[in-house]
This record gives sequence, structure tokens and C-alpha cells, in this order.
Amino acid sequence: MITAYLKRAYSSFAAHVFDVPPRLLAFLLFVLHLVLPVAKPDPFIQLTVFDIFFLAAFAASWDLLVGRSGQISLGHALFFGIGGYTTGILSVNLGLAPWITIPLAVLVGVSASLLIGLPCSRVKGPYLALVTMALPLILVQLFKLDLLLPITGGEAGVGILLPIIPSAFFRMLGFGSRDAIRAVALATYYFALFLVFAASVILYKIANSKTGMVFVSILDDELASKACGINVTRYKLMALAISSLFAALIGAIRGHFATIVSPGRFLDLTVSFAPVMVAFLGGIGTIYGPLIGAYIYYTLDRFVLQKMTQIPFLAFTDWEHVRFLIFAVIVIVLVIKWPRGIARFVTDKLHDLEEARDLDERGKWIWKTYKKRKKKE
Amino acid sequence: MHLLEVNNLTKRFGGLIAVNNVSFNINEGEIVGIIGPNGAGKTTLFNLISGFLKPTSGTVKFKDENITGLAPHKIVNKGIARTFQVVRPFRHLPVIANVMISMKSPRGARKIEWLKTHERKALDLLEDVGLSELMLEPAENVGHGDLKRLEMARALATEPDLLMLDEPFGGLNPLETDFLTKSILRMHLDEPSRGIVIVEHKLYALMKIAQRVVVLHQGEKIADGKPEEIAKNKRVIEVYMGKEM
Repeated sequence: MITAYLKRAYSSFAAHVFDVPPRLLAFLLFVLHLVLPVAKPDPFIQLTVFDIFFLAAFAASWDLLVGRSGQISLGHALFFGIGGYTTGILSVNLGLAPWITIPLAVLVGVSASLLIGLPCSRVKGPYLALVTMALPLILVQLFKLDLLLPITGGEAGVGILLPIIPSAFFRMLGFGSRDAIRAVALATYYFALFLVFAASVILYKIANSKTGMVFVSILDDELASKACGINVTRYKLMALAISSLFAALIGAIRGHFATIVSPGRFLDLTVSFAPVMVAFLGGIGTIYGPLIGAYIYYTLDRFVLQKMTQIPFLAFTDWEHVRFLIFAVIVIVLVIKWPRGIARFVTDKLHDLEEARDLDERGKWIWKTYKKRKKKE
Repeated sequence: MHLLEVNNLTKRFGGLIAVNNVSFNINEGEIVGIIGPNGAGKTTLFNLISGFLKPTSGTVKFKDENITGLAPHKIVNKGIARTFQVVRPFRHLPVIANVMISMKSPRGARKIEWLKTHERKALDLLEDVGLSELMLEPAENVGHGDLKRLEMARALATEPDLLMLDEPFGGLNPLETDFLTKSILRMHLDEPSRGIVIVEHKLYALMKIAQRVVVLHQGEKIADGKPEEIAKNKRVIEVYMGKEM
């Protein structure tokens, strides 16, 4: 009896503690990342977090398309890669500044998505998934052609892209060359933080606007949406365009930070499947879930699986793909265990606790008297 | 002028003629029932009018405008709303969002104002069909009878001039049937110029509200008239009950 009450009292207490509105949670997360480089000025941690940001925003753009509008894309690397390659080719061959090439890259990415989307959104079935999955692989082979080799660089990729934040700028401000490099790293980190945060917020806002509601209605029932007077084709294209806009933008900026745009990091199948796994881990259709998913994915990837290569008999030559296989297994297990993703699992738990608190007035009362008694002591 | 004019509408699926040369009219403010045994082509007729299927031949005119073969969403925007025989809710969305989806958003309107006025309107609609208590519940948690009414509220939210209900009483118990009958009649009183077409198997419920009944059999129209006349019509009785030996 008493233990049951104590348990309930604890849950009621926990609900009070964890009962934080999501907006505040997002803000806290933002502030945490904001002070991180000041609190722990370790370039390795900054670089790690930086990578995670890009992965999260990329996965969020995938999530808007697949989790909300129900159009399955298995090759988001296409838009990511188009973004990266467009800005790369323009900036290396024509010497244009990043602030011109990045918008152009986004434009090319969106146009590509519309070109693919126009025929695909009129038919039912997995056509979009097939087309998006095949196109990056076709692009890689195209880039290896002798004709395009001078421009695309083939397997080696396009390089070296101009930095978005040049160190010359800081040297002009009077920094020493060493300090300038450090300042650039910091500025890069903050730039990525703001970019990713802004992208996530915009994607989240879109997903929860009336347009986002329409996306979900198409996911749920296309025929019924038509009966509600919704131009399904138009909204499907819109979802694809918005998603590819962000994917291309993130790809373009990633290209400038990585300085080299190569097929392995921009058009490979692993690039396409990363957002899928991240979104499934975090909670598909949540938009904020991928951030949590990206943290889990990246930690697993870099700190567990990559360390495993040091075990002698696991040192495959093709570890990149074996790693992916292991990931696939992990994701399948997780999806069976938590089909709605980890972020949703947590929010559901919080919701349960909230209900428990509302229902259990008696437990609350016990908790209060218990606290009062403690104070007296 | 008729609200809806259907002229010689025919639909073939390969060798099967689902709807064969059907013509009828619906006037403003009329409640018309379409009945017929299974496979008579009632739902196909519905799909032809609402644009989900394209007719092989024949025309559909709405307010003197030819709407034959237009895309479904365009037909909805012209003022014809329909429900489905099997409920098709947006199951991830809350009940109130289900209704708000089908409301037209006027161009240039501020988003917040839109949300405010539309939320109020959606609530009114839900109250009319008796679902206001469930408004924040995701549609996947709502029972079948309530979903049937949600389906109707969703169709009404498009502010149609012609409402087409595909078996609204299907799978409802007598109490729910009674409630729905009443809300259809109330709806009719509220908006007396709106035409209503009901496809139904439950003749008892239908005969009470319909002002006119069209009978289909094997894709052809065999009778058209007042419910009392239809009930006495020899051909109709034959189709439903079989021939006297």
C-alpha cells in the first residue's frame, strides 16, 4: 500500500520536474550549444557537434517530406549532393563568392526536385523512392565520364571551395594568424548553430502550419484530401520543394566547410540512408526528433562502431558498408521496440506522468505533507 | 434551372457497363435518395459526378456549367462535396483539424485571423453533428459512428451547394441512425437552398427524409419519383423482392 503510494507520489513529483514546455526545452538546448565552446573550448567537441548539426538539419528536411507528407525519398543525397556540387563547381571554376553560389545551388536543387516530382507525384507507388535512390548513383557515374572529369573531378571530387568565413577577415581585424584560425573555427561553429537552428525552427513551423496539416492529410488519405478540395499534386510538389530547398542549402554550406565535394561524402548511398536512420531513431514526423536521433547516431557511429575497427578480426577493408549493415540492424531493433521513435517515446512518457499527476490528487497530497514534514525536521 | 443535371452518363469498365445512360436532375433545396440493389452502380455514379472517375460518355452539369471530367478538388471548389461509403478520416490529425482541412482559405487573409474564424466555424460544425467533445482527440481514437458524422462535418466544411452522402447510415445502430437523420434534416432547414443526394441501402431511414428517390438497377435508371410512388412501383418491387411466380 505505502510503496504504491510512494511510487505514485514520486511519479507526481517527477511530472512536476519534467513538466517543461517544448519551447523552453528547445531554448535550453540552444543556450546549451551556445555556451558549449565557451565552457569547453575543445575544437574536437566543436567539430563533433558541428557535424551532428548538419546531420540533424538534413534529417529534419527529410522528415518533413517523408514523415509529414508521406512521399518516400530514399535518396535525399541527391539534393544534398546537387547543392554541394553546384556551389563547388561554380566557386572553383568561376571563382564566384559563396554568397552567390549558395543561393544558386539552392535554386538548382529545388528545380531538380520539381523536375523529378512532376511525373512522380501523379502516380501512386514507390516511384519517387526509386527515382531518388537511383539518381545519385547515376550522377556519380556521370561525374566520372571523361567529358565531365575536368569539371567534376570524378572520384576525387571538386576542390578547393572558398570558405564562407575567410580567415583574412579576422586577420584584418587585428588577430594574429593563430588566433585567426581559432576565431574562424568558433565563427564557423556559431554560423552552423544558427543556421541549423533556424532551419529546424522554420521546418517545424511549416510542419505545424495549415500547410503542414494538409501534408499530413495527404499522408493519411490521398483520396479523402481530394474530396476536401485539396490539390494533392500541388501540395506534394510543395513538400518536395521545401524539403529539397533545405537539403540543397545544407549540402551547399556543408560543401564550403568541408572544402572538397566528393561523391563518397555527398552522393553515396550512405549519405542517403543517414537521414532515414536518424529520423527513425529520433521519431519520424516530429521534425525535432532528428536532433536527438543525430546525437545518438553520431555517438554510435564515431565512438562505438569506428572504434571497433581496432579489433583485429573486424578490420574489414570495406568497413564503411559493414558499419551501415550494423546500423540497419540497430535501427530495425529500435523500430520494433519504439516504433514512434525515441523523442516520441520520451514525450509520451511525460504525457503519461502528467496524466498521472492530474488523476492522483491523493498522491500529490501525500507528497506535499511529506515535504512539509521534511522541512520541519 | 436545375442545380445538377446528369445527361446520358455512361461508364464502362472493360466489358462491364457499370452506369448505363443515366439521366436525372437535382433541384435547389431538394433531398434526393439514390437506391438500388448491390452492384447497381450507385457508388460509381457518385464517383463520376464528384470527378473521382471519368465517364465514358455523357455530361454532368452543375449550375449550368459543364464539370464533366474535372479534377476532384476543382469540383469540390465549385460546390459539390461528398462523403465516402467507408470512412476515410485523417487519422493522425485531431478531429477539429479534420474539419478545418477542408475549409477554404481566402487569399490574402491573415493567418491568425483565418485560424480564429475557422476554429470557431469548425467548432460550430462539430457541435451540429455532436462531436464537439472529441474535438482534440486524434481521429484514430474515434469510434466508427462518430467518424461517420465527422465525415459529414468535413464535407459540410467546404460550404457545398450540393452535398452527396454515400451510405451515411452504413454500420450505424438505430440510435445513431436516428441522430444522423435528425441532423440531416436540421442541416436542410438551416440551408434550405442546398441540394442533398443520399445513396443508401437502409430504405427505412431514407424514405423518411428523401423528397424524391431515383432507383438504379444494373447501371440503369428504372424509376424516379416521390418515395410513396416508388414504394408502390411494380418494377422496383420486382428488382428488390424478385418476380412473382
